[in-house]
Amino acid sequence: MTELQAGQGAQPLEVARIDARPQRHRDLLIALIAFVVLALLPVLFGSKQLLDFVIRCAAYGLFATSLNLLVGYTGLISFGHGMFFGLGAYSFGLMMQKTGVPIPVAFFATLAMTFVVAVVIGAICVRLKEIYFAFVTLAFQMLIHSTILSWQSLTGGDQGLRGGIPRPPFLGIDLSNHLHLYVASCALLVIGLFLMRQIAQSPFGYTLRMIRDNATRASFIGIDVWRAKLAIFVLAALFAATGGMIMALFVSGAYPEFAYWTMSGEGIFINMLGGVTTFLGPMVGTMLFLILNDTVTRVTEYHGIVLGIVILFFAIGLRKGLMDFVVEWFAQRRSEERG
Amino acid sequence: MTRTRKPGISRRSTLALMGAGAMTFSAPWVARAQAKTIKIGMPTILSGRVAQLGTSSRNAVMLEVEKVNAAGGLAGRQIEMVIRDSKGQPQEAARIARELVNTDGCEMLLDGEASSGSFAVHEVARDLGVLCIHTCSEASSLTADPKQHIPNAFRCVRQGIHDSIVGASYAAGIAKAKGLKKWATCSPDYAYGRDTTGEFVLYLKKFAPDVEIISESWPKLFQPDYTEVVTKILQAKPQAMYSCLWGGDLTSYIDQANIYALFTQMEVFAVNMADYTALTVVKNLPKGIHSGDRYIKTFPPTPENAAWGDAYKAKYNEYPTNWSWQNATAVMFLNEAVKKAGSTDGKKVAEALTGLTIKCPFGADGTVTMRADDHTLVGYAIGWGTTIPQEPYVPDVKAGDWKTIFELEAEWKKSKGYT
Repeated sequence: MTELQAGQGAQPLEVARIDARPQRHRDLLIALIAFVVLALLPVLFGSKQLLDFVIRCAAYGLFATSLNLLVGYTGLISFGHGMFFGLGAYSFGLMMQKTGVPIPVAFFATLAMTFVVAVVIGAICVRLKEIYFAFVTLAFQMLIHSTILSWQSLTGGDQGLRGGIPRPPFLGIDLSNHLHLYVASCALLVIGLFLMRQIAQSPFGYTLRMIRDNATRASFIGIDVWRAKLAIFVLAALFAATGGMIMALFVSGAYPEFAYWTMSGEGIFINMLGGVTTFLGPMVGTMLFLILNDTVTRVTEYHGIVLGIVILFFAIGLRKGLMDFVVEWFAQRRSEERG
Repeated sequence: MTRTRKPGISRRSTLALMGAGAMTFSAPWVARAQAKTIKIGMPTILSGRVAQLGTSSRNAVMLEVEKVNAAGGLAGRQIEMVIRDSKGQPQEAARIARELVNTDGCEMLLDGEASSGSFAVHEVARDLGVLCIHTCSEASSLTADPKQHIPNAFRCVRQGIHDSIVGASYAAGIAKAKGLKKWATCSPDYAYGRDTTGEFVLYLKKFAPDVEIISESWPKLFQPDYTEVVTKILQAKPQAMYSCLWGGDLTSYIDQANIYALFTQMEVFAVNMADYTALTVVKNLPKGIHSGDRYIKTFPPTPENAAWGDAYKAKYNEYPTNWSWQNATAVMFLNEAVKKAGSTDGKKVAEALTGLTIKCPFGADGTVTMRADDHTLVGYAIGWGTTIPQEPYVPDVKAGDWKTIFELEAEWKKSKGYT
């Protein structure tokens, strides 16, 4: 995977710095349009399944895109990203159940808590490289998962947070109303993606790409590699926790499966489906993954085989994610037209 | 400028694809238009390590649904089951349950989820107000905890607390008769294992106060190797051992403990042994393991129960599981409740179900009851016996006493702050 990134990651470097501001305006415009389109969907289609689908897309999409900040942009293959998804879901759920604070307070308090945990875990993990990094993140994930399982008095153990998550209305928003929850999830998704896009396109984002391609060179020109890696590790954790909170609201609970390694595995799977070289790759991967999951499990209980074949097709057949493929295909088509 | 057709997807076919995508989402909605059949949705686990939970639940449901349909259906409406795999993931269970109700038009849910999944489906039932019967989750708190209580959800499942009371009173009898004072426990390390073992020990000490626990082992759920645990227990030299390991874990444990001849050195009480899934898989089933009844066609020793077990075996070429009888009972309850309510309306059926007693092959006295105050199943056949290595595996099951169960359960609820 590293070779693939090294080869293709060089491309975006051609973007000139002067372009940054108009691009930000363009991103903002796209974000606004995307939000309006999403918000109008319930008016156009009456399907509640579609709303559920988009809410889950928001949760998984934020999770997978934030993972791509580590995997695709920084070259940190984290196998433990699911821990922050679970942490977000649990700390938000617990705060709502135990303290009864307003939802925005619980939201920001959860982010603050994730920040602290991610700094501690990240400070240890980002010192390591490649497989060692992957395994230590996996180890921390299992540590958090085991803690959730054994701290029964607080977390309810393997049965999860029970009794539903209370959602007192705030500022006229009532998240127990499914439509409100839908719009709120869309807003969080769009804002989250916009912020991640800004991180990716900022000088800091390009520093990350440089670290990915050649960490030694980066440190030789005066970049504190450890600090940059830690910063992106923590930022990615915050977005993953936001995804976890959306999921907690959707299922009205939090379950240890959210913090299990399979969750991180799904994140990696999504990134492989969608592609790691474009910003929206993981988002496309999320949609593909959820559509595949929802349709295949309807038809057969042997969905494992089907999903396995699909991933083999992407890994061995296309040798890249769908978005990578599409982008290349368009570029090729354009150059052919010119030529 | 002439443009030649480029290979690949054209704009037109892209649009067609997008249209098809939109149709996929909206089509089921159109199909919702009320049909004469009544759809019942069932999220359960059909893949992975405990797939048998889902498949044996599904088998039993279909067996009973066929009977109901042959007799004219629910209030004249034929039942159509929509059964989907949640893979044991709670977020999938929640999604599927919502989809079944919102999109597929299911009017009732049978929740074939275990542990965390059942709590996720419970929240969906709370949110959507749809009638829901849990058929696999044995966690006592699902119905005992008043915070969980909603008028439209019921649980048609045996319970850990009932098993512990009956098991402890049976074990205490043997402990007194044989002078078994030093006990060891060996149970899976998760909520079910810890709770059930804790309750068993609590009641064992209540019935036989001089019992002492000298060794505790908590192997991980789905642990493949039990050597360490087996040798630890053997070194402690207890006179008896209690375990609530189940399914594949229990059978691996027995196979591995057999190598050390553990079963000749102590009395073993394994609550989940008497289930065909475990009995038929163990290579050399030791004689004389004490076990609670999960499902066994010889208990209750009635022709109805035997006939049901044989009918299931004839149809699916395997014996039913504990999950099978529970799911079958849920369909029987639905059928009787709809008859009583004279309607398939969820609210009316829920009212009819509350406190309903029906004739049932799995009842201790030929009937089972959906207790009114906590919407949970009581009066089912529950007892303990000892194993022999061949059919009928547990020839003589001693029935538990429901009067004692009710008394101690009420005390337990009080101690937990549930009442």
